[in-house]
Amino acid sequence: MSSNRNLEPSSLSLNDLPWQIKYNNNRCTLCGQCTAVCPVKAIELKVFQKRTIKASIKKDAVPSNQYDSFYAIQQRTDVENACIGCAMCTMACPNDAIAPVKNPGLDRMKFHINQQGVPRRRGGRRNASGSILDRIKFTRISMLTDPALDAGRHEFEMRTLLGRVLSPRENMKRLREKGWIPPVRQIYPLIIGGMSFGALSPNMWEGLQMGVAYLNEEMGMPVRMCTGEGGCPPRLLRSRFLKYVILQVASGYFGWDEIIHAIPHMKEDPCAIEIKYGQGAKPGDGGLLMWHKVNKLIAAIRGVPQGVSLPSPPTHQTQYSIEESVAKMILSMSMAWGFRVPVYPKISASSTSLAVLNNLTRNDYASGLAIDGEDGGTGAAYSVSMDHMGHPIASCIRDNYLNLTKIGKQNEIPIFAGGGIGKNGNIAANAASLIMLGASGVQIGKYLMQAAAGCVGTEEDRCNVCNLGICPKGITSQDPRLYRRLDPENVAQRIVDLFVSFDTELKKIVAPLGRSTSLPIGMSDALGIDDHAIAKRLNINYVV
Amino acid sequence: MKTSDYIYISGKKENKRIPSRVLEEIILKQIKSGNRKLEIDAFGQHGIGGRLWEATDKTIIRILGHSGQRTGSMGNANTTIEVMGPASDDIGWLNAGAQIIVHGNASNGAMNGAAQGKVYIGGNIGARAMTMTKHNPRFKPPELWVLGTAGDYFGEFMAGGIAVICGQNSQAKNSILGHRPLVGMVGGTVFVRGEVNGFSQKDAKIIPMSDKNWKWLVTNLEKFLNKIKKPELMTTFSDRSAWKILTSKTPQEKANGSEKASISWFKTQVWDKELGQGGLIGDLQEVEKGSIPLIARAKLRRYIPVWEQGKYISPCQAGCPTGIPVQDRWAMVRADNIDEAIGMGLSYTPFPATVCGYLCPGPCMASCTRNLASMPPIDVRLLGRAGKDLPPPLPNNKKSKKKIAVIGAGPGGISAAWHLTLKGHTATLFETSNTIGGKISSAIPDSRIPGQTLDTELRRVKDLIADIRLEQEIDHTKFSKIKKDYDFTIIAAGAKKPISLPIKGIEMTIPANDFLETAKQNPPKIGKKIVIIGAGNVGCDVATEAHRLGARQITLIDVQKPAAFGQEKEDAQKCGAKFKWPVFTKQITSKGVLLQGGELLSADTIVISIGDIPDLGFIKDTLTMENGFITVDKNGCTSDPRIFALGDVVGPGLITDAIGGGKQTALYIDQIIAGKKPDQAKPLPVINQNRICLEYYDPRNQADGLSDCGADCASCGNCRDCGICVAICPEAAIERKTLAESEFEYLVDPDRCIGCGFCKGACPCGIWDLVPNTPL
Repeated sequence: MSSNRNLEPSSLSLNDLPWQIKYNNNRCTLCGQCTAVCPVKAIELKVFQKRTIKASIKKDAVPSNQYDSFYAIQQRTDVENACIGCAMCTMACPNDAIAPVKNPGLDRMKFHINQQGVPRRRGGRRNASGSILDRIKFTRISMLTDPALDAGRHEFEMRTLLGRVLSPRENMKRLREKGWIPPVRQIYPLIIGGMSFGALSPNMWEGLQMGVAYLNEEMGMPVRMCTGEGGCPPRLLRSRFLKYVILQVASGYFGWDEIIHAIPHMKEDPCAIEIKYGQGAKPGDGGLLMWHKVNKLIAAIRGVPQGVSLPSPPTHQTQYSIEESVAKMILSMSMAWGFRVPVYPKISASSTSLAVLNNLTRNDYASGLAIDGEDGGTGAAYSVSMDHMGHPIASCIRDNYLNLTKIGKQNEIPIFAGGGIGKNGNIAANAASLIMLGASGVQIGKYLMQAAAGCVGTEEDRCNVCNLGICPKGITSQDPRLYRRLDPENVAQRIVDLFVSFDTELKKIVAPLGRSTSLPIGMSDALGIDDHAIAKRLNINYVV
Repeated sequence: MKTSDYIYISGKKENKRIPSRVLEEIILKQIKSGNRKLEIDAFGQHGIGGRLWEATDKTIIRILGHSGQRTGSMGNANTTIEVMGPASDDIGWLNAGAQIIVHGNASNGAMNGAAQGKVYIGGNIGARAMTMTKHNPRFKPPELWVLGTAGDYFGEFMAGGIAVICGQNSQAKNSILGHRPLVGMVGGTVFVRGEVNGFSQKDAKIIPMSDKNWKWLVTNLEKFLNKIKKPELMTTFSDRSAWKILTSKTPQEKANGSEKASISWFKTQVWDKELGQGGLIGDLQEVEKGSIPLIARAKLRRYIPVWEQGKYISPCQAGCPTGIPVQDRWAMVRADNIDEAIGMGLSYTPFPATVCGYLCPGPCMASCTRNLASMPPIDVRLLGRAGKDLPPPLPNNKKSKKKIAVIGAGPGGISAAWHLTLKGHTATLFETSNTIGGKISSAIPDSRIPGQTLDTELRRVKDLIADIRLEQEIDHTKFSKIKKDYDFTIIAAGAKKPISLPIKGIEMTIPANDFLETAKQNPPKIGKKIVIIGAGNVGCDVATEAHRLGARQITLIDVQKPAAFGQEKEDAQKCGAKFKWPVFTKQITSKGVLLQGGELLSADTIVISIGDIPDLGFIKDTLTMENGFITVDKNGCTSDPRIFALGDVVGPGLITDAIGGGKQTALYIDQIIAGKKPDQAKPLPVINQNRICLEYYDPRNQADGLSDCGADCASCGNCRDCGICVAICPEAAIERKTLAESEFEYLVDPDRCIGCGFCKGACPCGIWDLVPNTPL
């Protein structure tokens, strides 16, 4: 940096940056790997000067001064090249000479990230590590009371129902009268939430799908995956694997023409149709695929021009009320598959979620409700939406479930919870908490990316560049130079690992509760928390 | 009821069942008194026959009636128990050596937790038998023999011992061992006659029947059948093929997991088969498959280095209005081509020594990248001055027949005529005064330029340009004639008309140019006090000259912050000139300058130096003008395509601006004459100075000689051919290639390069850049 430059308001020093590169020149072998892998070019080789002064007060000695130059890695301080903390440099460094470290002081870059008047956009997460779900304990442990079960030896029915379950009386009546009975799927309660082909790289998406197929066909676990809003590759639509897929339709209707063309050729019905109305990470804002990621392949699958940013409208453009949405969308989608496929909406958690649920309870065609909480992830959103908009999932699920119990329909319409499940790694405990608060199943996204593909994101604003297509792990990039770092087979293997281990953990939680024949949906007497206000709000035990 | 030599103990007293505690007391009393054969008519009492530690020799307990739970629990090695009917839960619980025979079925939990002893069951057993059994190496392993079948969850957490399940009269269709046996098994052996399904694959495995095992089984089966009084079944049970052995998996086997299909197998045999070759999007994309390493080469690099020699011009060159490629000259100095470095000045300017060496304020040096690090710019004046005695260059010997008239032999006009002549055209200079050089000769004080230098360079001009016509009065008629006689006409008449002020007494002031001209040729008497209105560089020259002529109280006044800078201002200050601003002149009186506000600056001489405007009466509205200046495009072309204008007639500027304008116009006219479409290409962009690396230079060094200056020039955007990139490249991907005529280039081997950008980071001159690779 020139010493003679003028300071500008956004002139930052290393001290101002959220991530600082700690570099050990003694260990560095100048191999260039760190600068070659850095996704944002935050580091570069730099020539430095070193001055040596030889001085002596001896008689005849002439003090001298000498400049030498040396080479080292330097971190850049401009906003667009600020280190994102992904630590790919550390990953690449053969000598452990370099690593990003979170600045313990104030992140002053925050105040300058709106250059040219564009507010910060990012991918990833809310970057708030607190989690009510992590604080919930399972306090009802059966020992000499209920049959104490052993997760290792007992058989557990870890399945949930996706679809409208009629009341026994109504069901019998329709059977007698040969009436229509809504489709119901028995699925695994841990569902891969909607992440689009486009938001994710082809290798990531294929790895996820392959892992899901393996779990179904080799492990007998009926795991389902939602496509997200970005269409579905034509081959998958025409394969038997489609039955493991929940097709998502959202306000952009991307890729739906391909789906329509495939319907006559489908070997299997899809598991379900999810109508996306909102996303927990950015409620009230539509999907956003930034132009960096819209390459030839994505453009083809979505039916759009290459290299353009693809925002989805915040609302479905032809629907103006809950009633209209329910009537139009659920009916249209049900009709497309002859009323054989469950259709349900997905909304962002909101203080108005109850209104949606109440509406759905009055409509037989509504197969469920998915609610996405504020801790949900996203491929791209304005930071302000991610940081300040949204509703926590726990109380929203609880309110909705209790409302169902009030009207006696808690066994009839399933609620699925999403957003922040496993955000700190405690996936089974978080899922079990939500199930016991009333969810019939949970949807996960970020956890998968971390566990199955090595996403480096944390709740500390680390990496978060999913929107830019420069994902250093190749998870959310459409650049073959990046996504080919990720092998779909390895992703599939990790998906299998994580579902199998989740299954064991979930059993370790439900076994001591004495539940083996069905999921403990709404079994809130098993839950406790060490905060009186939360306990009261969630209607669970206060334990200290 | 007493039979044989057994001591009979009834579990009832006075028709009431006696408590387990009391029966235990009775049994222990009998043992203590030395009795070793007891027959107990039980009524469901707990734990009968166990814990007979005091019996140091063989003891037999025969149980009639209802044996209670945990019969024989914690049994002693000397104890034999024979249950004549069925047994209740947990028979042989925590057995430590007792032999127990049951002639009927046993319910749940047989042998649970046992570590020694043998239990023989002449019927079926309930759930969770043989669970958590052990084998202590100090003793023989525990054995459980069952004639019929076992109930669910058999052998859970079994850690040792032997179980033999004969499966006689099995009601279960497909598993002799019930539902989900052997979960958590870590040791022991189970012999089973018949089908076994659903056992924990994670923990147990079926192994082949070895001869040794078979021999052991046959021998002990006979004993078992005798104990339960069914020896006739031996023939049925002797079918070796009906038997299986299950043992625990080793920890290694458990760690390897159960035999699951690999993902690779699944991908090729299931996934790709269902979807088609290439998987999910094999039909949509041609991108190569297969994973790539983190550090990739060739087309898989995200960034690639480019050697951008000749893509940019240096800041000094861009800063020079005459466009002299200053850094090229220093490169020549470094290559010991000093003569060429000096000589090339004449290809750009007729006045290398006069202007570059003395009069030019040096925009090139002001643009020098070294300023960014507060290092002194390279002193280009040295190169300029060294050109003083250069002979005139040789013009293009292919003479064109085109004639160009240049009106005005100031620096701009001379420059135009100079370049036209060099290009082989005939240029005629028309000058109103009796000398060439314009203001350089007439108005600039001798202190700023050694007269000899100027004379030498003017002589060279005269040597090159044959047709110089002095004392030519140019009026409209003459102008019209010139226009007609010549193919092109260039107006470079300069700005000679002083700007005046509409105030009283203005006629008592002397215009600055008149003052300077007479000061040089015919010094007037000016007195001690002089006030100069207008504190620009010309005002400063006036101040310096006035001092030379004896003035001692010199005041420069201005309405705004003085525009003077550089050498002129320094010289004036050295003469003690005072700057006064902002002040506004109200009137000129015989005593001096009266300011608004009433202050009088007394003066013997008052010079007005607020600028000059061109005197262009001769063109008489034939050309488009603006604010008294001729309107031109960037090539100097006026509204008449055959008439060009440059220098002060198009706007005030530096000498170098006029020289540059002359060159630009000359080259443009040359292209028109050559019939070429004038080069409209944008000039090369200036290199981003942040690319230059100044850390290689000693910031304390003040280069003074030519070779020192050459060494310290950062050579912005112009490869020094230092080879640092070759040395720094960690992959040895960069190679220097020699081309013809001492030219060279640096090449990158894409198969080695990893796109680290080290070449860019280390390059002293900013030649290397790192750019995103072409999208795949």
